[in-house]
Amino acid sequence: MSKPKIAIFDFACCEGCQLQFVNLEEELLDLIGVADVVEWREAMSEKSDEYDIAIIEGSITRLEDEERLKLIRSRAKILIALGACATIGGVNKLKNNFDDLDEVKKCVYGTDSKKPHLATQPTKSVGEVVDVDFHVHGCPIDRKEFTYIVRCLLLGKTPEIPDYPVCVECKAKGNPCLWQYGQVCLGPIIRAGCGARCPSNGFRCFGCRGYTSNPNVDAAKDVIDKFGLTVDHLKTKMVLFGSRQEPTIYG
Amino acid sequence: MSVKKISKDDFAVFVDALIGKTSVIGVQAKGDRFDFAPLESAKDLRLDYDVTLQPPKKYLLPPTEVLMTFEIGGAYHSQYQDQPFVLLGVHPYDMVAINQMDELFQQDNYDTHYMKRRDNATIIACDVVKPSENVFASSMGTAVVRGGYDILLTDVGGAYVVESGTPKGEKLLAEMKGTVADEAALKSRDAVWSKNEKGLNRHELKCDAAYLPRLLEKAYDHPVWAERAKTCFACGSCNQVCPTCYCFNVQDDVNWDLQTGKRERAWDGCLLDGFTKVAGEHEFRNPRSDRFRHRLYRKAKYVPPKIGGQIACVGCGRCVAACLPDIANPVSVYNRLIDDLGIG
Repeated sequence: MSKPKIAIFDFACCEGCQLQFVNLEEELLDLIGVADVVEWREAMSEKSDEYDIAIIEGSITRLEDEERLKLIRSRAKILIALGACATIGGVNKLKNNFDDLDEVKKCVYGTDSKKPHLATQPTKSVGEVVDVDFHVHGCPIDRKEFTYIVRCLLLGKTPEIPDYPVCVECKAKGNPCLWQYGQVCLGPIIRAGCGARCPSNGFRCFGCRGYTSNPNVDAAKDVIDKFGLTVDHLKTKMVLFGSRQEPTIYG
Repeated sequence: MSVKKISKDDFAVFVDALIGKTSVIGVQAKGDRFDFAPLESAKDLRLDYDVTLQPPKKYLLPPTEVLMTFEIGGAYHSQYQDQPFVLLGVHPYDMVAINQMDELFQQDNYDTHYMKRRDNATIIACDVVKPSENVFASSMGTAVVRGGYDILLTDVGGAYVVESGTPKGEKLLAEMKGTVADEAALKSRDAVWSKNEKGLNRHELKCDAAYLPRLLEKAYDHPVWAERAKTCFACGSCNQVCPTCYCFNVQDDVNWDLQTGKRERAWDGCLLDGFTKVAGEHEFRNPRSDRFRHRLYRKAKYVPPKIGGQIACVGCGRCVAACLPDIANPVSVYNRLIDDLGIG
């Protein structure tokens, strides 16, 4: 069997998830040993239109990017969304909270806001534009999870990605609940798989891996009542990674 | 087996000597809470703790462990952790939980991985000095423990009364200073036991714990399951902090050669989405209310016949503290059923 060809493409993002590939260090050589990386702008100059697996980093914010992504999808057998920008729209979806996107552009880019390459639209996750076969969650991604998913694909096996809340990993680590220390932690409704990295270091969960597929929003409302908070408190904590996503606590 | 009385200073000397010889896992402060962790010095040991964040279970059944390595289509090799260690400061309710797991892991498929760790463990239990905010061990009959430990410590004021429970414990006891426990010391220990048998009861069960299996026989369709589960995050926090939850999942991962790999097991939890997912994506206990019910049925109806009728909830109260929407408290659910369905 010939080695599968992998191409890595970036859209609107900080490229931090790709940087995690570079940080694979010795494992990167293992990866290259079992697959041919045929395009990867951040690390090599070669390009190719022939690939089996397309890895998409970043969210989709321009019409031309939607077209480019659709073309990539048509060429790839398997498409992987890499990192929070790609899987859920990420931090870039913050702007979708504003009605007047021209105002947003002016605020961000000042006098350059009219330049043609900045003709942006409301942010979309990769899955809102094309079909996604696998999601590698997180901001940034977890390197171990990424390499596990790649090995599963090479074996033709479906990777097991957690669909339970961050609390599972947090409690297993013996952390006290941050809610009891006055933090509005999103752990109970956000997908695990990060090893509860933030709460284990004393910071609330920001929600970068997105909601579990069945989060209990009723319970969240009940808990914020119990702690004497309002829905607005929760909304402000969810805005960074949870802007304009379903299910929401809006309304 | 012998009973000694040892001053706290002499006990600290014993602990430091023990740390020099073997790996000691002891209760220590973690922020303003407590937890078991590798002990570096007797001065970090906190036998006056109320409850630990995690039960000592994880040293016998770790959150994740490699069961074996394998070659696809070839040989496999079981992997064992084979180092002796001491668990220091196990409260009676946690000791009861370990005793129950010992029975369960020897039944059906004898679990060599658990049992290897268990055989390597020396357990120094200690009676509770300060009841935790949610403990209800008195209701479950687990406030005091009569076996399973190698050594049992009881704080009787300025000193400990120390009793060995096994030949391993007897040998350790011989290494301790101290004197044969006198009548007064034994009386003080009896007083601690009497106090704890009643006093570790922040949530009081309205029936004898032994009645619970019969209570649950008539509660399967009670509305409490759906009512409570309405605000269940399905986060499994109750499972993850429970000393008697021992369900696990098993997964394989391969190395980059795509030929060799390892099989790992990791804690699972019956409250989690996907816990009962089987081939073909079929999930036979999908509604949250069914899963919420299952945990409490498991504790007080399904497991007891496997362990001589003991209730598989030891009243540590950790799930009560860990449950953000405050629905997990077993006593409050069982009491609600007693109110509605009566006793007898």
